[in-house]
Amino acid sequence: MVGLSLGEKQFIHGGIAQDLRTDGRKRLHYRPISIETGVIPQANGSARVRLGATDVIVSIKAELGKPSSLQPDKGKVAIFVDCSSTAAPMFELSGKWKMVLGRGGEELSSELSVALQRCLLGGKSGAGAGIDPSSLVIVEGKLCWDLYIDGLVVSSDGNLLDALGAAIKVALSNTGIPKVTVILGPSPNDQPDVDLSDEEFLQFDTTGVPVIVTLTKVGRHYIADATLEEESQMSSAMSVSLNRHGHICGLTKRGGAGLDPSVVLDMISVAQHVGEQLMSMLDSEIAAAEAAAVQEQ
Amino acid sequence: MLQSKSFAKKTKQGRVIKVVREHYLRDDIYCGATFCKVCDTSAARLSASASATILIVDTNVVLNQIDLLENPKIDDVVVLSVVLEEVRHKNLSVYNRVKALCTNPLRKFFVFSNEHHRDTYVKDMIGESPNDRNDRAIRVAARWYQIHLGESTQILLITNDRENKKRATEEGISAETVESYVKSLGKPDLLDLVVLSSSVDVPMEDVEDLRPSKKKIIYSEHKPMSEVTSGLLHGIYHQGKLRVNRYNPFEAYVGSESISEEIVICGRANMNRAFHGDIVAVELLPQDQWRDGKSLIIDDDDDDEEEVHLVPNSADDVPRFENPVQPTSGSSPPVSSHPPGRVVGIIKRNWHSYCGSLDPMPMPAGNAGVAHALFASKDRRIPKIRIQTRQLGNLLDKRIIVAVDSWDCLSRYPSGHYVLLIENDINSRPFSSQVLACLPPLPWSLSLEDLANSNREDLRHLRVFSVDPPGCRDIDDALHCKPLGNGNFEVGVHIADVTNFVLPGTPLDEEASQRGTSVYLVERRIDMLPKSLTEDICSLCSDVERLSFSVIWELTPDANIVSTRYTKSAIKSCAALSYVEAQARMDDSRLMDPLTTDLRNLNSLAKIMRLRRIKRGALTLASPEVKFQIDTETHDPLDIGMYQIREANQMIEEFMLAANISVAEKILKHFSLCSLLRRHPSPTKEMLEPLLRTAAAVGLDLDVSSSKALADSLDRAVGDDPYFNKLIRILATRCMTQAIYFSSGDLSPSEFSHYGLAAPIYTHFTSPIRRYADVIVHRLLAAALGISRLPPIFMDGPQLTSIADNLNYRHRNAQMASRASVELHTVIFFRNRPTDTEARILKIKSNGFIVFVPKFGIEGPVYLVAKDKGSSDWVVDEAHQKVTKAGTKITYGILQTVRIHMEVVEPQPNRPKLQLTLII
Amino acid sequence: MEYVDSLTGFRLDGRRPNDMRQIRGEIGVVAKADGSALFEMGNTKVIAAVYGPREVQNKGQQINNQALVRCEYSMANFSTGDRTRRPKGDRRSTEISLVIRQTMEACILVHLMPRSQIDIFVQVLQADGGTRSACINAATLALADAGIPMRDLVTSCSAGYLSSTPLLDLNYVEDSAGGPDVTVGILAKTDKVTLLQMDSKLPIDIFENVMQLAIEGCKAIAQYIREVLLENTKLLESRKGL
Repeated sequence: MVGLSLGEKQFIHGGIAQDLRTDGRKRLHYRPISIETGVIPQANGSARVRLGATDVIVSIKAELGKPSSLQPDKGKVAIFVDCSSTAAPMFELSGKWKMVLGRGGEELSSELSVALQRCLLGGKSGAGAGIDPSSLVIVEGKLCWDLYIDGLVVSSDGNLLDALGAAIKVALSNTGIPKVTVILGPSPNDQPDVDLSDEEFLQFDTTGVPVIVTLTKVGRHYIADATLEEESQMSSAMSVSLNRHGHICGLTKRGGAGLDPSVVLDMISVAQHVGEQLMSMLDSEIAAAEAAAVQEQ
Repeated sequence: MLQSKSFAKKTKQGRVIKVVREHYLRDDIYCGATFCKVCDTSAARLSASASATILIVDTNVVLNQIDLLENPKIDDVVVLSVVLEEVRHKNLSVYNRVKALCTNPLRKFFVFSNEHHRDTYVKDMIGESPNDRNDRAIRVAARWYQIHLGESTQILLITNDRENKKRATEEGISAETVESYVKSLGKPDLLDLVVLSSSVDVPMEDVEDLRPSKKKIIYSEHKPMSEVTSGLLHGIYHQGKLRVNRYNPFEAYVGSESISEEIVICGRANMNRAFHGDIVAVELLPQDQWRDGKSLIIDDDDDDEEEVHLVPNSADDVPRFENPVQPTSGSSPPVSSHPPGRVVGIIKRNWHSYCGSLDPMPMPAGNAGVAHALFASKDRRIPKIRIQTRQLGNLLDKRIIVAVDSWDCLSRYPSGHYVLLIENDINSRPFSSQVLACLPPLPWSLSLEDLANSNREDLRHLRVFSVDPPGCRDIDDALHCKPLGNGNFEVGVHIADVTNFVLPGTPLDEEASQRGTSVYLVERRIDMLPKSLTEDICSLCSDVERLSFSVIWELTPDANIVSTRYTKSAIKSCAALSYVEAQARMDDSRLMDPLTTDLRNLNSLAKIMRLRRIKRGALTLASPEVKFQIDTETHDPLDIGMYQIREANQMIEEFMLAANISVAEKILKHFSLCSLLRRHPSPTKEMLEPLLRTAAAVGLDLDVSSSKALADSLDRAVGDDPYFNKLIRILATRCMTQAIYFSSGDLSPSEFSHYGLAAPIYTHFTSPIRRYADVIVHRLLAAALGISRLPPIFMDGPQLTSIADNLNYRHRNAQMASRASVELHTVIFFRNRPTDTEARILKIKSNGFIVFVPKFGIEGPVYLVAKDKGSSDWVVDEAHQKVTKAGTKITYGILQTVRIHMEVVEPQPNRPKLQLTLII
Repeated sequence: MEYVDSLTGFRLDGRRPNDMRQIRGEIGVVAKADGSALFEMGNTKVIAAVYGPREVQNKGQQINNQALVRCEYSMANFSTGDRTRRPKGDRRSTEISLVIRQTMEACILVHLMPRSQIDIFVQVLQADGGTRSACINAATLALADAGIPMRDLVTSCSAGYLSSTPLLDLNYVEDSAGGPDVTVGILAKTDKVTLLQMDSKLPIDIFENVMQLAIEGCKAIAQYIREVLLENTKLLESRKGL
């Protein structure tokens, strides 16, 4: 992957204009998604999502912690993304995208983390978050679960944000947090003690968790689920995070070129449409995985 | 096939981790029945006949009925690995006993790894408690056995758990409770060993005066473990080991890291069923309940403050007095610095089996045979234990062993059951056949192979001889002294080469390691190694060739070491002398034969070495060892006297010390991190307090700044009284710490020193026949010389430390047994011989004083006031260590001579005591 | 703690002392890479991706008569029991990267590809003892998948000595016991040792036994890797229509 020749670039542009992409997809088609849950048994929940050649693994770990004083009735959720070096050489692309894709993947990692946080966790006040942190609290003001969501990009072929978003949703459905019984300390100021139950688990309700749809504008058309080559040709891209009801939970625009506001609205509505399909596909996959897990038991 | 087990764990810092472990299932695990046609029977243990009944025991049966299982009449038992794991977590000592049963080739106990067997693995079900899951695993395994071994064999699940039994029967497995199984065997003495579960109602009228209606909660409930841990974390409760005051069993101390002073626990209620040695959680009592910490009323029977016992005979053997508060003096003490508390929970039980006897009681009228008796342990720190037995008549007058089972808050006393007869945790059982199999066959003699070994020097031409107590048959040391051409002497110390026969890892070695040391009782010896080794093969008897390990010095006539060498050797002793004989030879100026010349040379060298040691500060404390002359027929003591120390004794001692020091230096040089050494910590100021106080009272100024200063002061402490010096030395002895073994990797070199011997480094090398520590040092020395490889156990620091600790423990027990034996014989001796004799006062107390009887070497209390009289007319003057009768001039001071009457009394049957009374 | 149960002879997880954990290898997991593999040893999961031979990125490092082999080892945040943020350049990662590089360099025929660069990236997804060995095994598979010419397959396995018994393939619990840990890497067919590391101390004769045990483990893994590669080749053949 050294770079694209002029001919290749024209081919990509032309194909998109004619609704026939290099791999034969239509503009708004997603590549086949394959999902695996429970790939990391040591974590409380994990999932691996393959979107064509893009491969991401998400693991969710829960640890005991103290809620922040600003929001004593909510637990804490933190999202980190790490671009593994196995996907690294892709980051040494030349051209204007060096800025975006960064050397060593550091910049990309932080950019992805921030984008995900914005889409899934809502604003600073915690309002409107896709994942509800109040379900994580154990003792108000003293004890709560800290959820650490770690994403690992194993192989990158474009559309990382979507893949990560989907993986997080699946991983959350797979997450089991042990139930705790609280033993209060003798004086009210003390940190209460907890007794862990090995048996029972708290499952997350993931129907409210949003998915992320990234639309990439190449030329005058938008495509969903761009591959790396297509991304290198984009003028701008927009990632919309949508929940089941079609509401927007977050929005990110990337890329240097400016967008007309009407174009933005148009992209959003397209994204909603695409998002519904993605959402239902993910839901069915999750259900299938759960059923398989129950059968194994 | 791989299963995955995952569970959530909470770390100490309070974080939660999910732990995932692999769990492999195998198909190569066999059932262990020798008659099974399907399985590989190479490791099978169960009996050969197919019609036998095979028992499968569940966890509670193993935990509670271990004594029953150890009885050889119970056999053909399958112990499942799930049961073993549970037992190991709940009670380590029971686990060790089960392990011993399973490895013993004579018993038919088989361990079946049901957790890893493909067909018997049981996966956790959601909502099932771990206990239920384990019970289910046991049932599945039982069923598998039934199917696997076919119809002819009967598989019996032994469980006392009603639920488990019911489910088992439902699933088609035969199940029985312990009692019904034992009853079916028809052996009544086995029934005694069966521990009855606490749910069975025990009629208490026989023993206590409580009617069931009067049963009230005597002790407060222990707090649940979670509360205890959180309390400890918050500093409300303190954790520590409970130490019961030997002199007042209703007072105990808990030393905890979380609080600087020791917490004192007064009274049974506050002790809340904790035993001496338990790890407990204590709560401090509120301020207003603090009383002064002086030990007060003892509301229970006998137990006077001190018994007649032997004077400790060397710094090495001084028993550590465990309670820091001495129950003395009538002068009002300051408000105690020991905060009082009470026990709220028991973290770890330290229940052993205890030796003692049953309280006398009338035989029960009923013919059911089951009687309830109260057992009183010899160790006064243990409360009385209630037991049930069918053999009351048999046990009443005897010394028995009882194990404790439980103590709930409704009963005043703990309940236990009767076991067997072992004393002082000393293994007096004969050596097992496995151990004896490790010995070379008799008659043994030196072989050509032994001589051909290049590591072994042939020293049979040397004039080697040994000097030992009369009648000694286990001779482990011999010496030789050869004048060299240059005026120097070659002196060699040859020690029996025990490690040539006791190889590491063999059953013989394991057994010796467990025993730790030989125990010397008055008329017999409990050996660490089998007799054939101790008295024949290893013993350096005269006129036979033996293998030895030698330390050979070149010494100048001034006893300075020019060179040292160490080697394995072969010797032939020419004479095995007794101390008396050796002394007589040296003293007889007419004798000029080579042997006597050697003795004299050694003696003069020894004298120089001894003087040098004393100059360096070695302590010579009085050692009035009491010796008995035993009537050979009745085994009663005929006479009792003090052991005489002669020059010959000191000569041998000197060279043994020198050998020990040389070997210590050598092994430390090669193995600085894993040498087994011996140290004697210097006594602290607090320990020397009583000595200084006493000395001051008689106007004596003792300098205790160093061992040398103390030694010099002791030398100067001479009065007109011939015994004065001896008495002061005896008092000094009591203040000393115990010498202990340790691993050199655990301490810094400055802490290696031996205070009493004034040696910077010391170890035990010269008595491998009777001490296991010496066996270890022999192995270290052999490795240092490159003769053999160091056994891997030395690589493991913690293991070596625990070996050292075990040796210290065994050593102490052996001493206690020895003393107990001597005390017993003392009592027997005086039983029919009431005697009047002189005694010296050693310590003043508020109601009397402690005296020392020089003629017999014993000490004991003399009471001025009868016990039940309230306040005394006697006043104690602490500063001058005198006690005076109020209003009179009658006074007794320390070190004063008094006349006493010694007589054996029996206030309780089977508990004879030697009583000393003052003759006014 | 008893690592080998004296009564049954089993280890904590039910293996016998010379049983290896369950191994699984898969090729072609990272589609974008030239060669990639996923290797599991028990609960230890490692992904290796190979990029190359390709043009040297940093011209200064180019070697004129042979290929430049680079290796980078990293552990995911969630790979261990407690989640720690792992800085990429920490000492342990650097050391293991170096070790893997040297081991693989010994077996790649580097003189066949002068002035080029071969990148081996190893990512640990789950660590449960024996990560070093799993990384080397995964790298071997990935290199084979990438079609890079090698002298021989390099396989690696670890062995230890606990409770006076040599144990093959230690897992995390056994590794943390503080006993000696010997990691051996060999060239399977030619029986040559390319990697030998040990920590803690062992007497020499016991060391020989332990090393021998590890070498046998390596041979077993080599056998398995051969099978995986064979399967993969057959699959490729069938896809091609042969």
